[in-house]
Amino acid sequence: MLKYTLQRILYMLLVLFIITLMCFVLIRMLPQTVLPAGDPHTAIVEARREALGYNKPYLVQFGIFMKNVLTKFDWGVSEVLYFGQDVLTVFLDKLPATVIVNLYSIIFTIPIGIGLGVFAALKKNTWIDYLISTLTMVVISVPSFVYAFVIQYVFCYKLQWFPFLMKSGTDWFSPSMIWSMIPAVMSLGFGVIAGFTRTTRAELTEVLTSEFMLLARTKGLTKAQATIRHALRNCFVVIVPSIFGEFVGILGGSLIIERIFSIPGVGSLTINAINGQDYPMFMLTTVFYTAVGLAAGLVVDISYGFIDPRIRMGSKK
Amino acid sequence: MKKFLALLLALTMVLSLCACTTTGGDETDGSTSGTESTESTGGTDTSVSYTYTDSVSTLASNWNIHTYQTSDDAYPIDTAGIVMGLYTFVFNDELHPVDGLEPYEGYAIIPEMAAEMPVDITEQVKEEHPEYGIPESATEGYAYSIALNPNATWDDGTPINADTYVESMERLLRAELLNYRATDYYSGSLSIAGAEEYANSGLSTYKDNDDADANPTYTLEDLVLGADGQYTDPDGNLAYLAVNYAVNWLGGYSITDYVDAYGDAYFDTTNWEALTALVDDDGVVPLTDDNLALFSSVVATEAWAETADTMYNYVVYAVSYAEVSFDTVGIYKTDEYEIVLVLDKALTGFNLYYALTGNWIVKIDLYDECLSETDGVWTSTYCTSVETTPSCGPYVMTSYQADKAMHFAKNENWYGYTDGLHVYVDPVDGQTYDMYMTTEIDCQVVSEAATRKMMFLSGELMTYGLQSDDFDEYRNSEYCYASPADTIFFLIVNGDLDMLQAREAAADFDQTTSDLETITLLNFRKALALFIDKDNLASTVSPARSAAYGIVGNTYICDPDTGLTYRETDQAKQVLCDFYSVDVSEYASLDDAVNSITGYDLEKAKEYFALAFQDALDAGYITDTDGDGICDQSITLEYSMSSDSDFMTQTIDYLNEKLAEATSGTPFEGKVSITKSAPYGNDWSTKIKNGESDCVLAGWTGSRMNPYGLTDLYVNPSYAYDGGWFDATTVTLTLTVPVDGVDTTLTMTMWEWSDALNGTTVTVDGVEYNFGSGIADMDTRLTILAAIEGAVLQTYDYLPMMQDSSRFLLSQKAFYVVEEYNGVMGRGGIQYMRYNYNDTEWTEYVASQGGTLQY
Repeated sequence: MLKYTLQRILYMLLVLFIITLMCFVLIRMLPQTVLPAGDPHTAIVEARREALGYNKPYLVQFGIFMKNVLTKFDWGVSEVLYFGQDVLTVFLDKLPATVIVNLYSIIFTIPIGIGLGVFAALKKNTWIDYLISTLTMVVISVPSFVYAFVIQYVFCYKLQWFPFLMKSGTDWFSPSMIWSMIPAVMSLGFGVIAGFTRTTRAELTEVLTSEFMLLARTKGLTKAQATIRHALRNCFVVIVPSIFGEFVGILGGSLIIERIFSIPGVGSLTINAINGQDYPMFMLTTVFYTAVGLAAGLVVDISYGFIDPRIRMGSKK
Repeated sequence: MKKFLALLLALTMVLSLCACTTTGGDETDGSTSGTESTESTGGTDTSVSYTYTDSVSTLASNWNIHTYQTSDDAYPIDTAGIVMGLYTFVFNDELHPVDGLEPYEGYAIIPEMAAEMPVDITEQVKEEHPEYGIPESATEGYAYSIALNPNATWDDGTPINADTYVESMERLLRAELLNYRATDYYSGSLSIAGAEEYANSGLSTYKDNDDADANPTYTLEDLVLGADGQYTDPDGNLAYLAVNYAVNWLGGYSITDYVDAYGDAYFDTTNWEALTALVDDDGVVPLTDDNLALFSSVVATEAWAETADTMYNYVVYAVSYAEVSFDTVGIYKTDEYEIVLVLDKALTGFNLYYALTGNWIVKIDLYDECLSETDGVWTSTYCTSVETTPSCGPYVMTSYQADKAMHFAKNENWYGYTDGLHVYVDPVDGQTYDMYMTTEIDCQVVSEAATRKMMFLSGELMTYGLQSDDFDEYRNSEYCYASPADTIFFLIVNGDLDMLQAREAAADFDQTTSDLETITLLNFRKALALFIDKDNLASTVSPARSAAYGIVGNTYICDPDTGLTYRETDQAKQVLCDFYSVDVSEYASLDDAVNSITGYDLEKAKEYFALAFQDALDAGYITDTDGDGICDQSITLEYSMSSDSDFMTQTIDYLNEKLAEATSGTPFEGKVSITKSAPYGNDWSTKIKNGESDCVLAGWTGSRMNPYGLTDLYVNPSYAYDGGWFDATTVTLTLTVPVDGVDTTLTMTMWEWSDALNGTTVTVDGVEYNFGSGIADMDTRLTILAAIEGAVLQTYDYLPMMQDSSRFLLSQKAFYVVEEYNGVMGRGGIQYMRYNYNDTEWTEYVASQGGTLQY
């Protein structure tokens, strides 16, 4: 298992390196913002570009970039959005907001999603199951930013229960901050709840009809005992890895949600970096999302072995 | 399962505990929004706090006055005033009277960080400091003594004295820092002696072969052949051919960009590889006879419309600046609170004061602490956070969270609150009030217009910029204000006949069913100038905007001393009446005549379409084989689109609808239409310039205080939107203008008139003429400007459509002391804003309205 894990980590780093190289070269190949003809500031901007090494061959630039990252963890300075500021510092300032909102979303969605899934499975082929399944399909089909606008209109504007935007500041765990995050968390969470519901229902429905469940009931366990002790545990082989997958999915979805609720996170930073052609910032956020995706895949794979000891990763037999 | 439930329970408990904690993280970044923030302003009585709650799409990230680049970044400077100018604008009132103007009709300029108006000491400095090179003939406008306000301090009480100004200028211009704003003090009207040399001290760069008016500095004949075979300019700077180096002539692109994009369609690429093999790391090739011949063989083609004689457009000069000390820069201290500014070109009157409404001072010790250097690249964290943001103005930054919000509170150390000078007389009640009634400014990022609107209606924002969907509901609201902008949007129609013919020659173009050449005909363009009711166009596709009839917008101020706009002058009114064939004698006044202009005449448009049909038949562009009097070909104009949007769809649909109306009953009935291009992104203008796309609504924006400078945008070929436009270097204009007190009839090309109007000496028949600022009187300059405008309109290459503008709602919480928009002062901004409710009252008022306000 250890060998397998190390092997996977090495593969992950290799893939990360290749993606980073590709992104770096492609980003540097993008045309730089054309400077206005005759603008006296042009000379200064060009001198800065020269100093930053933009006129060197791409691979030389990449070599300098990697050397700075590996030796000093220096990701460069922002050229547009945060002119002259260290991009890593800016990025790290924004990471907590994204992580917190996503974490709250996961915490909010797991129990509801799994609970609805269990309920639907237990009431299989009843109107309750049909209702939950239909709603699940509808909710999954609608992008999260649509919920965002609806939630903002209904709960923030009409009912005035929540503030329109996430509260300013870094007091992530204060009641007012948590309260202000609820609209964003709900917007991000609806689709995820539907995802968990669907997965749980499908798995549990299958497990509930297994022969070992019949055996458990014949041993004298109640339906609830058999479901909780045996059926759900088997379902978790699929559900737990999907939690990691959903976390990555929420991170992607939060790109837009962060803009709508003014969450000063990595998502809005990425969009602004693309719009503003701030390449060093865009490079760092791209590597971040790539790394998160790869790490999630790795954790999912490794988690199988922990959840179900019968699964042995990397085994030759 | 038990373990899982236990874990879930534990997590819930931890979160609950965390939620019960009262520590709000970073206190500095904590509180900001709305009325809550008033609780954090220590010592301020919340019952009389007036918070200006604002929203932006992009929050400032770098408001360092030496390096900021965008208007978003300027927010803390312009809106919150953390750095005040040496001089400032105020409305003219009883306390600041302006001769000949009623109160609030114009503005006055008064000392702010300065103690007095600048004193011209040109003669004295010329004598005492010959090193600054003030011309012998100069008697004024080159050197000023400025007494500084001794009460000015930073918000922590640190005095701001002459040393602050001198040392700040040294840092601004320090070559190694490459400060973006350095050029503001040597490339514009305010050019400090020696500043350019010090800012570039020890640097080498390439200089384009053009001057500020885009005229070539030198022709090839002017260059000097060196002993090594490389040419130099007359000053001895080595000359190069810019092969892979962006030049102004190509609008910031290099010729390599064009060759890569168009190849043999425009260029002879036979020798291209041989040429590029010579290019050095900077993208240039030494200018020798052989290299010039090689370069010309590629670029001087008929398709590219250039000859070997015009290759000077691609010449750049290597300029090396000598190492110089700061002592050579024209700024020095003469007293603890007095500095002298020495300029290398004269600047007087309004233009001087206007230039000095800005400032360059920084808090020296903090500035130096914030500087850091990595691999020769200097960066600074100055003015990027609360801790690194000092203030010398009415407000000080109290919190900042990147991409989220920033908050400003009163700077208790600002002299303006106690000096008794920052007061005004209210135009309605005649009472005297303090400026800066606002006690706090809270600015949040709100990206979505829908969110901004809901927040505004809930009383959380002070203004809301109307969107297209809002106009029907709010345009007549008493809280709705219009702010004109500087851009005129005109309809550009492809006039590049060569390119259109080349496109028609393509294999996939069926000339029996389609035609493009007709759009170059004058009568066709005249029809296009009349087929749209511009007021209706504006109200339909962009309700914030209004109809435009000339090429100079209604915000441009021709007389800075009084605030008179160009469009308010008789010359400007008359030229529109002439162009739109309005007989002034039929109206009670010139104002009535000009107000009658609609620019819309459907019948006349139909007549012009009929004439264009005949012209096109005669030219062989179209056919009418069955003799039914209807064009056999369809004319489909491609609208050059940067990206698709509802606005684009609405605009093109509108144009097509009106084209159908205008061509109905004419030989072009159902034959003329406009279609969307692919989303070209930033290439939309290139497509228009190259004649690859056919029409677009676009415009120019000039300096609001200088309408005369706009003429260059319309006559300078480098700004032409397509290659087929009129050639202002050959089109002549004859005018009678006073020269040395004698009315003189002069004939010059449009470009020469423009140059002369903007201060370049032009020689006609051996006599030099210059109608620049301070040389010719305003009336003469207005006559020339109006004549150029009229001549440009007569080309029908620019079909004015819309005047840019914006409309917004102002919260019931506050009001402006003036309703009318002033080109310089706007409506007074934060400085003059008055409140109907303080924050507490406002919260109660909004609640009493059910949480949603009616506008």
